[in-house]
Amino acid sequence: MDIFLQQMVNGLTIGSLYALVALGYTMVYGVMRLINFAHGDLVAFSAFVGLSVYGSLFSEGTTSLLAVVSVFLLSALVVAFVGVLLERLAYRPLRTAPRLSAVVSALGAGLVIQNSVMLIWGPNMKIFPTDFFPSTLWSVGGIVITFTQVMILSFSSVLMVGLYFFINQTKIGTAIRAVAIDQDAAKLMGINVNRIVMIIFIIGSALGAVAGLFIGAYYRGITFDMGWMYGLNAFVAAIMGGIGNIPGAMLGGLLLGLFNAMITGYISTQWAETFTFVLLIVILVFRPTGILGEKVAEKV
Amino acid sequence: MMNKTSLIALLLLVFAGFYPLFVDSAWLAVGTTFLVFACVAFSQDIILGRAGVFHMGHAMFFGLGAYTTAILNVQFGWAILATWIPSVLIPMACAFALVAPIIHLRGDYLLVATIGFNIIFIQVLENDVFGLTGGPNGLFGIDVVRVFGYDFSSQIHMYYMAFILLGITLFIMRSLDRSKFGRAMFYIHKDDIAAQSMGISLRYYKLYAFILGAGIAGAAGSMFSVQYSAVSPEAFNVTQSIMFFTIVLVGGSASLPGVLIGTFVMFVLPEMFREFETARYLVFGVAMILTMILRPRGIWPVKFGNIPSFLKKEAK
Repeated sequence: MDIFLQQMVNGLTIGSLYALVALGYTMVYGVMRLINFAHGDLVAFSAFVGLSVYGSLFSEGTTSLLAVVSVFLLSALVVAFVGVLLERLAYRPLRTAPRLSAVVSALGAGLVIQNSVMLIWGPNMKIFPTDFFPSTLWSVGGIVITFTQVMILSFSSVLMVGLYFFINQTKIGTAIRAVAIDQDAAKLMGINVNRIVMIIFIIGSALGAVAGLFIGAYYRGITFDMGWMYGLNAFVAAIMGGIGNIPGAMLGGLLLGLFNAMITGYISTQWAETFTFVLLIVILVFRPTGILGEKVAEKV
Repeated sequence: MMNKTSLIALLLLVFAGFYPLFVDSAWLAVGTTFLVFACVAFSQDIILGRAGVFHMGHAMFFGLGAYTTAILNVQFGWAILATWIPSVLIPMACAFALVAPIIHLRGDYLLVATIGFNIIFIQVLENDVFGLTGGPNGLFGIDVVRVFGYDFSSQIHMYYMAFILLGITLFIMRSLDRSKFGRAMFYIHKDDIAAQSMGISLRYYKLYAFILGAGIAGAAGSMFSVQYSAVSPEAFNVTQSIMFFTIVLVGGSASLPGVLIGTFVMFVLPEMFREFETARYLVFGVAMILTMILRPRGIWPVKFGNIPSFLKKEAK
């Protein structure tokens, strides 16, 4: 039972990270019908930016609220800026091109980001500062919860609930939903589609940046090519939930995180990815558009 | 009179035929691998370019062919020649068994599912199932082709075997264009809903494309394992699948010269710039973005008029 609860906590932690990254995939897909293959590399990039911000502004071993806030804010800003730049340079010129051309462009952009990170920070694994979060841990009824896990769980829930209300209650959120349904109609209603796409990239990249920093703080070791693995898992989560669907990405992320934790806790780590994809394929066989995805009738 | 395209094709053929006489062994190996990769790229094009199925796991079928030859030869002592048939049939059977249940999925969902197959395939290889696959190191010591006591063992032999394989693949591609399958593909590509209303079964033709593509990739895989006399999992991972996927789109989908150019650009060019080890893929990524922006349909897109040529001929 202890293992079960412990794996539950670990799974929810990883799941929240997947969910944050999956939101970036799903929002871009919802509006542009594009699989943004560069998103995972933005997540990795963020961890390295955070590393440099912490290293240059604070002396080694600083644990303070100021450090955490400034690292998060500055990294999110930098990554959001790169995300917007990415959209401008690599995706906007291809908005009317065949869909797969934009996918190739995204793959190219991923290569560019990944190799830039390698050239700037070097090809070796870097260790994220251990004092970034206090190393406090709590023991509750036999299970151990670290401060970092509490931070991840609480902050990502706040972000996800916030995003849900932002999309559903605000004027910009309504515009985002309108553009996702029909770009031309949205344009006719006076919505600036380019601005909405920019906002999507800002939000998606910033959420990815938060996830990247948490990945650094939680797993410690960060490598320039780690974005591929986290990106792929998050993308699978977005597909499981139904891509384009925001609550779907959150659900898919948490589900995948829990499933992964249970598989690695009880069955095997060697076959973890196989189980992930078998789950995905089984879900898709029974629900071809994911758990929360709607059936879209083909327009003729 | 010969048109420009046929002239270029003839020149290329002559060049490819005499290529081994001009180059050293390293470049000869690059040439052989180019021919093998071109076969795989054509088979990817049948699925992605012609049938329009978003498929990003093609290295799995390539790898299945390679591992079939390797396992049968190294573990069971079959002659290479005898492994050729199973190395085509096993990928075809796997394509049918794996893809049939999910062929109805919409584009992007299918794309992730095919990536998933590829990743599962790699884990199966790395975990050394039944002690057959040799784990992360793979298998080595694969034999050469022997016919009536004669060994086709030199690099030049390898090159010409790959050359013949590409010839067969090109012949299949040409025949496809003029077959019932090719015509069905053409209409599905133009408008799949209209095609379905005319009685063309999307499911059947998409599956047909997958099985045919898997067979060709398997044959190429077998050739690949013989060329290097070794196989290892990383030669068939998702990165390779992404390369084949990109080759087709960068070159121009459903276009024979396009796929050849794509293979050259994505495989041979990086080999040429090996000395710029670190910055190479950065430039490469930029080039991918620029190619797509400047030529969204690929470097050498296929020229489809409103009336396909096979219909024009009959109208005359």
